[in-house]
Amino acid sequence: MATIFFAEPELVIGHGRKVLFLNPGDLQIFKEIELPPDLTTCGLKTVEPVPAPGHPASSSKQQPAALKEATGSVKVEVSIQNVTYSPDRQLLALTTAGQKAVLLYKSRPENAQLLSIRPLARASSALRFCSDGSSVLVTDKTGDCYQYDCVEVDASPRLLLGHLSIVYDVLWSEDQQYIITCDRDDKIRVTNYPATFDIHSYCLGHKEFVSGLAMLTEQHIISASGDKTLRVWNYTCGKELLLHELPAPAVRMLVRQLEPEKTYEVAVLFYDYVDAIGVYRLEQTTTESWSITSTQLVRAEAGTWNICNFALTDDRIYVTGAENERLTLRVYDSRNGERASGLPEGWLKMVLDNLDVAAFMPEDLSVWFKKRFDNVSEYLERKKRRIEEQKQQKCG
Amino acid sequence: MVTTTAENEVLTSTSAVTGLPQKRYYRQRAHSNPIADHCFDYPARPEDVDWRSLYPSIRADQEVSFADIGCGYGGFLVTLGELFPEKISIGMEIRVKVSDYVLDRITALRQKSSGTGAYQNIACLRTNAMKYLPNYFRKGQLEKMFFLYPDPHFKRAKHKWRIINQALLSEYAYVLRKGGLVYTMTDVEDLHNWIVTHMDEHPLYERLDEEEANTDPITPKLYQSSEEGAKVVRNKGDHFLAIFRRL
Repeated sequence: MATIFFAEPELVIGHGRKVLFLNPGDLQIFKEIELPPDLTTCGLKTVEPVPAPGHPASSSKQQPAALKEATGSVKVEVSIQNVTYSPDRQLLALTTAGQKAVLLYKSRPENAQLLSIRPLARASSALRFCSDGSSVLVTDKTGDCYQYDCVEVDASPRLLLGHLSIVYDVLWSEDQQYIITCDRDDKIRVTNYPATFDIHSYCLGHKEFVSGLAMLTEQHIISASGDKTLRVWNYTCGKELLLHELPAPAVRMLVRQLEPEKTYEVAVLFYDYVDAIGVYRLEQTTTESWSITSTQLVRAEAGTWNICNFALTDDRIYVTGAENERLTLRVYDSRNGERASGLPEGWLKMVLDNLDVAAFMPEDLSVWFKKRFDNVSEYLERKKRRIEEQKQQKCG
Repeated sequence: MVTTTAENEVLTSTSAVTGLPQKRYYRQRAHSNPIADHCFDYPARPEDVDWRSLYPSIRADQEVSFADIGCGYGGFLVTLGELFPEKISIGMEIRVKVSDYVLDRITALRQKSSGTGAYQNIACLRTNAMKYLPNYFRKGQLEKMFFLYPDPHFKRAKHKWRIINQALLSEYAYVLRKGGLVYTMTDVEDLHNWIVTHMDEHPLYERLDEEEANTDPITPKLYQSSEEGAKVVRNKGDHFLAIFRRL
């Protein structure tokens, strides 16, 4: 996984065992975090998560990560999955795969300071702080959503809710009244908080996995899906307000608020399409009325390399992916989709050299799509034939 | 009631004695993986469901209020339809052949009762109730849900396939109205204990005490009318009943 995002003024890239914080303009590295090859050396223990009231621990065994005290046993790679800042930038959280853990850092002052490291049951799929940074939600590929306290930094995680398939994204409402999650079963679920056993509403309508969510206003969210649509919802009542057709399935979405109030930039990474990224301008014309007012497609040389992620700044798009199994980073101008100029020579090489250079294979996203196969027609055919035979026997 | 060609075809594979479809043509293995992708058509949302295709005589002011989750061969569903002629009941079954049997059975019953219009209030859906209940039912729509003799999925690795678990109880609470009832019955004591533990610990359910449970007119029907229940009685097994109210 190659995480990349822009948290003004830093461009953050997480890959392998490193997180780099860069100035996107002159490409200086502000700071970096490097994880040791074995997380037990910074205090990772394997402990069963404590269930929240009303949620007994699931009985399926949660195998501890393959850690053994003695050397010469199973060596599991540490690789960074998700990285996110708290809204006030004071805290940074990251999750790892291989040895699965949630790490919490104090991000100011200069060098990020590790506050805690706690085990994770399964590799994470999404990560999000609440508005005041007091806790962070981690969702995983079986659909469970855990809360890790960031005030009691060593508190065990609490299982808050579960979907029946992988959860691709998670949001908190600003007032922390709701948690919004989206999954592979086309569902967007709005759950009460802290009474997370009580589902408030669903936003139903998508016909394929929902890969991304973003908060627009106190009552509105936008979602992106493999069904080739962007949709705006009033999530408090589950009402769909806008459906915008996309040229291809969407596998990642980023939203930035723009200067004139009620306008947003929505960028979407496409699956298997001639253009890699679509950038849309979204406007709220009245409280419940939204529309897309402009579209910009960015080819980003799709097809020549395997694109997995991207980040947006005011004028540039930073795209990560793999070329010949090597992590590659390319930068495009967001106004015209051309390769960006003005980057110092050798910068990309320097950044990539700084990250792990093991073979990089982005995840195969074809598995996200539902396998639709027909196990009914064959049965009905055989049934029809059986009935016809019986008819003939009766008549014959 | 006019019978269609499809219904006539069905009827020729029925028993000459009872006029109903014969189970031996519809046998299917009991266990199914509910987490795998299956082939279902399912609606994106409740507003998109054409209920008339399942209940041809349904009125605009009527909607499904009782749901038999994992209705099997439909024995209990038929009883439910007879006990509550004014209520619309639905059976949900994930297995292809078994749900087809129930559809054929209901068609045959409707045909036989075309004079009285009975059995217009029951229908069967082939679907995965663990995933798609909110697609079919709006918040607080159902009055009663039945989980009769669910698959115990004995092996620990398969426990997450059990139809009652913490995450799903929240989803069931969403489609059930306040005060709605959940009826559970099984002959496997371990599964019964699992169900009771999970539902006791979920803040939105409270268990009916024995007296309340036994005075419910549905309770005696839970033992015999489903095919599984009758089998348990034949084999002199135990019945474990638990009824919960959605708070």
